[in-house]
Amino acid sequence: MPASAPVSAESPAALLRLEGVEQFYGEKIRILGPIDLEVREGEFLSLVGPSGCGKSTLLRIVAGVLRPTAGRVLVGGRPLKGVNTRAAMVFQSFALFPWLTVVDNVAVGLEARALPLRERLKKAQKYIDLVGLSGYERAFPRELSRGMKQLVGLARALAVEPELLCMDEPFSALDVLTARTIRDLVLDLWKSPEVTTKSILLVTHSIEEAVAMSDRVVVLKANPGRIADEVDLRDLPRPRRPDLPAVRETVDRMYALLA
Amino acid sequence: MNARAPASYSVDFGLLLLLAVLVAALIFAGSSLRPYDSPELDPRPELLPVYLLLSLTRLGVTLAISVLLAIPTGYLAAKSAFARRLILPTLDIFQSVPIVGFFPVAVWGFVRLFGGSAIGVELAAVFLIFTSMFWNLAFGVYESLITVPEELRMAADQFGLRGSLRWAHLILPAVVPSLLYNSLVSWANGWFFLIASEIIAVGPARYTLPGLGSYLAQAVTAGHNDLTMLALAVLLATTVAMHLLLWGPLSTWAERFHLEETGDRPRRPRIARLLGRSRLVRSATLRIVTPAAQQALRVSSRVLDFLGRHASGSAVAFFGLAVPALAGYGGWRLYVLFAARPLSPELKGIPVDLLLSFLRVIVGVVVSAAVSVPLANWIVRRVRWRSAALAVIQILASIPATAFFPLVVILLTWGLGMNAGAVLLALTTMFWYVLFNVVGAGSAIPKETQEAAFAFGLRGRRYVWRVFLPAVLPSLVTGCITAWGAGWNALILCEYLEAGRRVHEVRGIGATLDRATYRSGDMQVVAASLASMVLLIIFVNRLFWDPLYQRVAARYKMEA
Repeated sequence: MPASAPVSAESPAALLRLEGVEQFYGEKIRILGPIDLEVREGEFLSLVGPSGCGKSTLLRIVAGVLRPTAGRVLVGGRPLKGVNTRAAMVFQSFALFPWLTVVDNVAVGLEARALPLRERLKKAQKYIDLVGLSGYERAFPRELSRGMKQLVGLARALAVEPELLCMDEPFSALDVLTARTIRDLVLDLWKSPEVTTKSILLVTHSIEEAVAMSDRVVVLKANPGRIADEVDLRDLPRPRRPDLPAVRETVDRMYALLA
Repeated sequence: MNARAPASYSVDFGLLLLLAVLVAALIFAGSSLRPYDSPELDPRPELLPVYLLLSLTRLGVTLAISVLLAIPTGYLAAKSAFARRLILPTLDIFQSVPIVGFFPVAVWGFVRLFGGSAIGVELAAVFLIFTSMFWNLAFGVYESLITVPEELRMAADQFGLRGSLRWAHLILPAVVPSLLYNSLVSWANGWFFLIASEIIAVGPARYTLPGLGSYLAQAVTAGHNDLTMLALAVLLATTVAMHLLLWGPLSTWAERFHLEETGDRPRRPRIARLLGRSRLVRSATLRIVTPAAQQALRVSSRVLDFLGRHASGSAVAFFGLAVPALAGYGGWRLYVLFAARPLSPELKGIPVDLLLSFLRVIVGVVVSAAVSVPLANWIVRRVRWRSAALAVIQILASIPATAFFPLVVILLTWGLGMNAGAVLLALTTMFWYVLFNVVGAGSAIPKETQEAAFAFGLRGRRYVWRVFLPAVLPSLVTGCITAWGAGWNALILCEYLEAGRRVHEVRGIGATLDRATYRSGDMQVVAASLASMVLLIIFVNRLFWDPLYQRVAARYKMEA
């Protein structure tokens, strides 16, 4: 995949495009926008910024669970109405259904897409195996550690085979070691031929995380949330260990941007 | 789910036997019951199981209706701001108004509607019990729906859970714990009202619904102490059995619907495992119950989604049109009542009656609070006893206070003043609400807080004042508000007792109301005492309890 591909003059096809998107709180208070943004096919895009810059709001607009006050969202060239069925979301607090077992949680999106039971179970099992949770199918979320819960959240999102995976601060409720393991897993799965997901949109407040994972980082500033800058990281070789000089230098550069 | 236990024919056999006994009892009951408008119930003790069955059916049907109506009501209130503004105040008022007082009016309406037939009297009883069960259920649904975490709702949106799937995977599971907890409360309330509503008298007319409540009431009135004790024993045994066979297993089952983040694997109730071994139950579940439930969910979710989409409209229809129409009709009746006849001389005594009853309720609230706090502290601190104590309290609380009447009557005959007797009776309903709330809040005090208090030498009484009381204060106020509301209901029944062919009464608004209802039939006095009581309650709620709760909650909420 194009992780270390050379920068081409024309950008690849856009999976999704935001045009003049704005979000208001009540009548007068603008919390976001106007924002123009493109998620390209095959890219790993991160949104970073201080708290209150509306990055989670932006992600929700992309996933179609929040309607923007103004502007439009184009998916595959067509304006989005309602939930974005070509995207799936991973949540900060996991948002698993506590009363459903792991396998039922993973299959929930497939049930909504009216797949027959047998196929649902087969597909759910495939993604449970892919995230390494085999053997925990019948467990309830409350029996799992936080890291395992987030793996269930990841499997649930991948199981609906989305083109775009939206991740809202997915690692910030986890301890450092678990977060690193799951980050690596996400990158592996993204490149794996078993997974259909083409692009990933990650919201994070951690610059290190954005630099370690992304092809492109969009920096937002607050009040109202606007795009402040954009950093292309396609030239930065992978895997990006945090102690590599190039990685460290990029992180420093981004801190300077945000300051 | 888990590996299945082997099928067992003995469970099937047991179930069939139980069914046969029930059918036989119903046939026996049908042939030996006296007509509804006969003045007396057949007092033979061997009919008690039949009466019990009839009462349980009445309660069960009413609880089912209440739950089925509470879900859309709470859902609408959670869904639309407009509906919320209409629904919540209505619930609030009805919850705090002493509904027992409205019994005669409601019965009169139903009985007239159905021409005094059995069905009219049954419906009147169901309606009256409903008014004791519904409000907290609807509130509970509303509260649990607005506390569903935002991300969970969003996940349901994002993964496309709509219609019946959303109800099955999000809305219904989220409201199960509160529905269950409130069903327990409603069930206890229902018993209280059942006993009051199985014997219905409006002026000269008197209807007796066959049931445990009417049996008990009749035994008390006639002064048959042996029959009274027998009926009480049946009632107590039923309460315990309900806990063991229904509420306990249901609570175990409902564990899986709690929103907590960590914990043990949710358990399957023992009785469900036992029933799961029956072939009959298995095939009925597979062939009838599951498909029927799915179909019902599909249909009802369509209806509910329609209501939800037109939430404001339906709220206007229910609460904006029906309620004002009723109120208008009531106002017109009142006008006719007071304008057409000269005013009754008894009306002059109402302010003093009201004051006396008010003082009694206040004494009840103060005593409940004063006893609950140390008692709860004692219970909470003994971890080993806590669950056992809670179970006992729960059972005691679900014994309808009306059942304590005979005991108090015995005390009265031993020379206890009726004034103290009325307060004591009211306390049997009021106390549990306070104790329940305080024990609940006390158990939630973080362990670190307790340890910190002990580390700094706060022990004994000082611990109660400095740590325990502030920590439970919001719940204590909640409990007191509920007890205050329940106290008025209780006083209507407590200030005027007929027992052993003697009337025990004490001056108060409840006694005035009862005398007007059962003896003189003076509708002016009925209307005036009800109206003054309702106004006083709403007035005190708005001016005292609501602000008190706001302040206490703002200052003493346990938050990190």
